[in-house]
Amino acid sequence: MNIEIATAPDVRDVDVPKDAWTQPFWDAAERGELLLPRCVNCGHFRWPPGPFCPRCRSQTVAWTAPGAGQIYSFTILREKKDDGSVQVIVPALIAFPGADGVRLIASIAATPIDHINIGASVELSWSPAKNASIPIFRVT
Amino acid sequence: MTGGWRKPVLRHIFSVQPRLWRYGINTGQAAIVGVGATPYYFRGESAPQTIYELIGKAALAAAADAGLCITDVDGLAFYANGFEPGLLTEMLGIPEINFAATVAAQGGGSAGILDLAAMAIETGRAKAVLCIGACQQSTRRYGLTFANLVATPNGIWSRTAGLTGGPGQTFALVARRYMHKFGVRREAFAEVVMASRAYTANRPGALRRKPLSLDEYMASPMLADPLCRLDFCLETDGALAFIVTSAERARDLAQRPVYIAASAHGGSGDWGRSFFWLNMPDAMFTSAGAEHTARRLYQQAGIGPADIDVALLYDHFSPLVILQLEDYGFCRRGEGGDFVQSGAIRHNGAIPVNPHGGHLSEAYVIGMTHIREAVEQLRGTAINQIPNAQFALVTGGPAPIPVSGAILQN
Ligand SMILES: [Zn+2]
Repeated sequence: MNIEIATAPDVRDVDVPKDAWTQPFWDAAERGELLLPRCVNCGHFRWPPGPFCPRCRSQTVAWTAPGAGQIYSFTILREKKDDGSVQVIVPALIAFPGADGVRLIASIAATPIDHINIGASVELSWSPAKNASIPIFRVT
Repeated sequence: MTGGWRKPVLRHIFSVQPRLWRYGINTGQAAIVGVGATPYYFRGESAPQTIYELIGKAALAAAADAGLCITDVDGLAFYANGFEPGLLTEMLGIPEINFAATVAAQGGGSAGILDLAAMAIETGRAKAVLCIGACQQSTRRYGLTFANLVATPNGIWSRTAGLTGGPGQTFALVARRYMHKFGVRREAFAEVVMASRAYTANRPGALRRKPLSLDEYMASPMLADPLCRLDFCLETDGALAFIVTSAERARDLAQRPVYIAASAHGGSGDWGRSFFWLNMPDAMFTSAGAEHTARRLYQQAGIGPADIDVALLYDHFSPLVILQLEDYGFCRRGEGGDFVQSGAIRHNGAIPVNPHGGHLSEAYVIGMTHIREAVEQLRGTAINQIPNAQFALVTGGPAPIPVSGAILQN
């Protein structure tokens, strides 16, 4: 039996909506950097990026590299394509021990599905959308 | 059934305050006196009736059931974006409206209509509140409303990760984490579905009545691994309506009154947008987000989980029934899988759950059928009657806050 390989969803047509608080995330992504918003006042990471720290209500953030991520949970979707083939898409939550509390919602790609487990370490790459680079992850 | 689960053991889970009076601390002054429902239809089969025609039929049936005239209604309560009060009063010839409000939730707010109605009655704002819930999925298919909601600056990561199909996919993330954390197996989810199917075998109005075996469950196609098609609720059309009035007036009407002993809508801020957020603190991630509501309800009613005779738990996805059993204290955290597999939610189990078959097997009308079943159980007229049922718990959907619940009493 063939081993199924997870692939990233095709997002080339997706127009990513941005606002003042998410723009720096996408600017960093454009440079190939994953940065998360950390409260300058209390150090708390917040997600999604927004105007207030839910812990101390201050506004200013420092965009901070969270370090390596791990799979917190995932699901497996099988999508029938027009040519009859099946695409295996694995949406996942990626947790960062270096950014306590943040789980990024992103897909797992280029990984045999039997290697995808909760707790597995992942490395970052990028997938192009219409106006943004989308973070995707591969099990290492 | 292996037994071993007995309700009194669970008493300690919530600190229960002594009951101050028969109907709880500050409620029980309002009662459900009328229930009306259309037949339940598979998606699209309610045509050519419009959704307002379905609502009108349910509302008139509720009034007749109560021994009231629809013109006695002077309040309206909704959830899930509600319906147009002006159109309803024009259509049904309701002479005046003194209260109209919508719970600021989707399916999470279903039981919350009882909270709005009770508030209107207890404060004297209205004399008879018509609570309405309906869906007609030919015009709005609930499972597919997700795509628009995640196309925002805050929600786009769900879209780009491939979570475009609805809450079932995101609850699959919750289910897998829960399975991993507590060693729960799919057999537990299967039991929730099989139990619901066992309850519908004798219900003519239910849309799925064929008994379900574990093999059949396991053969069901995966939609969002670890959730298979049978873990997802039905897609159906229908309308239901309830009339709530004062306990005093209720005693002179046609039916045995069903008192609202407790009602709440709200939730913990840590639950937030629930399946849209997915950043709930770890302990809450593997819950149904209902602990806060559970505490409020038990406190209001002055009772605990051991006093509940039947639980009507919002079952859009089977694992969420198990998580609600934990949130509401029917078993301990992480033990919900073993609990259901012991037979606990069956007719003779520790806490019978959804004897009407719920969203999984009877019909999906966004939580309304659960309220109907609670009323029928407490009137003593349910098809799968729980003997001597005195307290029924009914919940709104695990969903973004406000989530909701109510404890009803006869
Ligand atoms: Zn802060």
